[in-house]
Amino acid sequence: MATASETTLVTPRNESGTKWWTRFLDPSERTLALLLLLPAALLLALIIVYPVCRLVWTSFQNLSLTSGAPAAFAGLENYALMLDDPVFWETTWNTVLITLITVPGALLVGLALALMANLPFKRKWPVRLSLLIPWALPLSFAGLIFAWFFHSEYGVVNDVLGRLGFEGVIWFNSARWAFAAICLTIIWKTSSFMALIILAGLQTIPRSLYEAAEVDGAGRLRQFFEITLPLLKASIVVALIFRTITALQTFDIPFTMTRGGPGTSTATLAMYIHQNTVDFLDLGYGSALAVVMFALSMGVTAVYLRMIRAKG
Amino acid sequence: MMSKKTMKLLLAGAALTLTASAAMAQTNLRVFVSSQHRPDVWRKAFDMYEAKNPNVKVTIETGGNTSEAQAQYLNTVMTAKDSSLDVMILDVIRPAQYAAAGWTVPFNDVLGADADSYMKRYLPAYAEANTVDGKVVALPAFADAMFLYYRKDLLEKHGIQPPQTWDELAVAAKKVTESEKDPNLQGLSFQGKAIEGAVCTFLLPYWSMGRQLVSNGKLSFDKEAAVKSLKLWKDFVDQGVAKKNIAEVATDDTRKEFQAGNVLFAVNWSYAWGQFQGAESAVKDKVGVVKLPAVQGGQPASCLGGWEWGVSAYSNNKTEAQKFVQYLSSPETSEFMAINAALLPQFPDVYTDADVTKAVPWFANARPVVETAKARPVTPRYNEVSDIIRTTVNAVLAGQSTPEDGATQMEGRLRRVLR
Amino acid sequence: MSHDTPANRSLFSGKPLRILIGFVLVMNGMFPALWILFTSLKTETELTLKPITWLPHAPTIANYLRAFTDQPLLLFLFNSFMVALLSTALTLFVSVLAAYALARLHIRGRDLILSAIIAVSTFPLVTLLVPLFEIMRALNLLNTWIALILPYTVLSLPVCTLILVSFFEGIPRDLENSAMIDGCTRLGALFKVVVPLAAPGVFTAGILAFVNSWDEFLLALSFNSNPMLRTLPVGITLYQGEFAFPWPVISAALVVGIVPVAVLIVIFQERVVSGLTSGGIKG
Repeated sequence: MATASETTLVTPRNESGTKWWTRFLDPSERTLALLLLLPAALLLALIIVYPVCRLVWTSFQNLSLTSGAPAAFAGLENYALMLDDPVFWETTWNTVLITLITVPGALLVGLALALMANLPFKRKWPVRLSLLIPWALPLSFAGLIFAWFFHSEYGVVNDVLGRLGFEGVIWFNSARWAFAAICLTIIWKTSSFMALIILAGLQTIPRSLYEAAEVDGAGRLRQFFEITLPLLKASIVVALIFRTITALQTFDIPFTMTRGGPGTSTATLAMYIHQNTVDFLDLGYGSALAVVMFALSMGVTAVYLRMIRAKG
Repeated sequence: MMSKKTMKLLLAGAALTLTASAAMAQTNLRVFVSSQHRPDVWRKAFDMYEAKNPNVKVTIETGGNTSEAQAQYLNTVMTAKDSSLDVMILDVIRPAQYAAAGWTVPFNDVLGADADSYMKRYLPAYAEANTVDGKVVALPAFADAMFLYYRKDLLEKHGIQPPQTWDELAVAAKKVTESEKDPNLQGLSFQGKAIEGAVCTFLLPYWSMGRQLVSNGKLSFDKEAAVKSLKLWKDFVDQGVAKKNIAEVATDDTRKEFQAGNVLFAVNWSYAWGQFQGAESAVKDKVGVVKLPAVQGGQPASCLGGWEWGVSAYSNNKTEAQKFVQYLSSPETSEFMAINAALLPQFPDVYTDADVTKAVPWFANARPVVETAKARPVTPRYNEVSDIIRTTVNAVLAGQSTPEDGATQMEGRLRRVLR
Repeated sequence: MSHDTPANRSLFSGKPLRILIGFVLVMNGMFPALWILFTSLKTETELTLKPITWLPHAPTIANYLRAFTDQPLLLFLFNSFMVALLSTALTLFVSVLAAYALARLHIRGRDLILSAIIAVSTFPLVTLLVPLFEIMRALNLLNTWIALILPYTVLSLPVCTLILVSFFEGIPRDLENSAMIDGCTRLGALFKVVVPLAAPGVFTAGILAFVNSWDEFLLALSFNSNPMLRTLPVGITLYQGEFAFPWPVISAALVVGIVPVAVLIVIFQERVVSGLTSGGIKG
């Protein structure tokens, strides 16, 4: 971090006689800092701050573009409507369920992948690449690819099940199986990122710790639970919270795989917001839904920030 | 060197030429056409208009492959108050929505006092679908309805008449599939996927019981009829008349499976006929088409389809655009599209036109079906109504909820929207 | 990656097992992409064979031809590429300036700003769908590249700023100071000395920003509905229509869409890994 003495090493060059434009090109440190932060601040103001204010305001309005009527103040009406909207509750519950299943799921799979990838392979690039490809693949591509995997007649999943002697499943014809297919896809897509983070952590654990443990007669499992896991805790926690926040925003994968079906049994809150906004053009109600989701994820972010602070 | 004076003169001359050419300038009309309705043939119809009106140039725009995707595209254009589109083709369920949102220009000013008689020329259902609060908000492009397609050869073989009721259909389907012993042969295929077609799936038996979903803008939901309707379809699945994953079946899946010879009865729109009789079809000349069955003791009902031409409220060429739409919605264009694109006419007389009956003989049977087809509910919040119905139908068919629960949920959600 | 660190010795050993594990890892990562590649080479008839075939019997490129003719796939690629490139450039420009200020200059509330940046990185953009839609509508930006470039820039800004801050902090001040003594202004020193030295960091940040933009779906779906302005992820969903769900053609389009990013990843894999683990965040 910068200290005062270091930065003052630079002599201010605003001697008399310099032209005004030199002063502009070489302003005081504070002005310069402000100037440098200005573009970022402007962008954030336009894309985040102003929209958030606007969002909250719209959520108190009756504004449906299909009615042709101008916006009218509606107080808490949109929120009241939401409380007895079964689809709101269903999509919120689905979102929470997806989070509760895929976050630990991605962690477990990611941990396994990381431990496997940490083996002394002769060639490292195939392993590295196979962790990077799922990460770089667009979520919507992953949704389409796995929709094809789980196709009831021509999908590879049912083919493999058949070869193993099980009866194939009509995945997207049942809420439970469709949900399972979506969760498996999300876990596949997100576990490789977990693995990369954990792998980076693994490689910082000093060898001496394990050697000492071996001298003490600790078995491999004990070494894993008493050395590896505790030392990985910090990086895992950060990755977990981050994954939680993105899981709450799940949209692409169910949208491309099932469009929320059968019925609304695999629709998420993000999809419901999108539908109310883009398909129904009910901006008031869509905003109220978004405020709820905003509050949810900001709550998790607060925890996240606290963890990062604690970590130093 | 030119003198200053000559220069000035030249400039003035140039300016004059410019204004003159501006007066003669072409009107560019940008027309949105749905990609599934033969934009290539529409293009020919546009060319004929351009030939007669040299100052008008028409460009086609398409977007999205499904009615829903197209609605999404037009939603964005209209909410953005974008003037880039002048004319757009709209699914029959949308003119009321667009009018309520103020996205289309009424034709009353152009039609004047003749509006009533002008609209009377069309099939009544289309005059109605395009008139909102006494205003003509769009003009019909072509008609459509749902039909029952059946395997003529198989029914003849087993000595069965085309069914009049859904119960008869179930009996016939069971009889044929049981004795044919073909594991790939399905008794009935219809639309169970959560698409617009599933709205019609629900409404067909519901209407057949004489019930309406919306009357005078108010919800008139008959729960008992709704349960019966959902149960009718679910029973088809449970009895093995329809296949187990019918909740995954969309309009064109029905068409493909019937065309491959794997379906005895199919509920589908008019476009399927041309494909069934096409060279690649396994059922060519083995197909019959009749009006859809009724529920026991009810009237047969079909779902009204078809598309309409609207003029954008944000167009800069409204007058030219409306003139153009009047041409597109004329009996002449209708006849041209019937012969060349097999689109059903929106005028009763065109069905009996000699050239049309020669090109598409089956249109003669189609007319009574179109005439009795019912329109889906007219409401500005149709998108929400549609979503509620189709997701419920889909959930019931997937065994996700019972017909009773489905109807209860449907009613609750519809009341919220049409409050 | 995969050095012989002690952590791994604790669980696995033995060469045959290692080869098996390596195979599992590679299959887990590559199989979906491979399967799509196989599918894209099959004919529609082969695809409906039962039981299904794994390797294509008679590989054909017909699906690729259809992928480019059924939909304007080249245009989708071009849109995606330009949007990703322009937003990456904008992100880098803005985040280099901000990161320099945060790493080198005295700012009151620096920690607060950093926290705010982290908070923004977790921001659910979907919740801003309505207001962003309205802003883009008011500015007449719906159905333009800019409608996507601006939010994408904000999407990657936090990550890139954090990466760059840590890189800038690692550059010795002396180099910069001597440049300034030689008559460079601070801004001059930033672009002539600091940025070149932090090139690996700038590069890493750039790749992450590019991939973020390349992958984005929801905003692209909602703001640019004109087919001529569709980006690749959204464009690919257009192959499914009222009339069919042509899997081989969709697969071909997917392969075409995967290749550019895969090439990027193959070339710059170490960069990407270091970026991801040093503060680059994407679920």
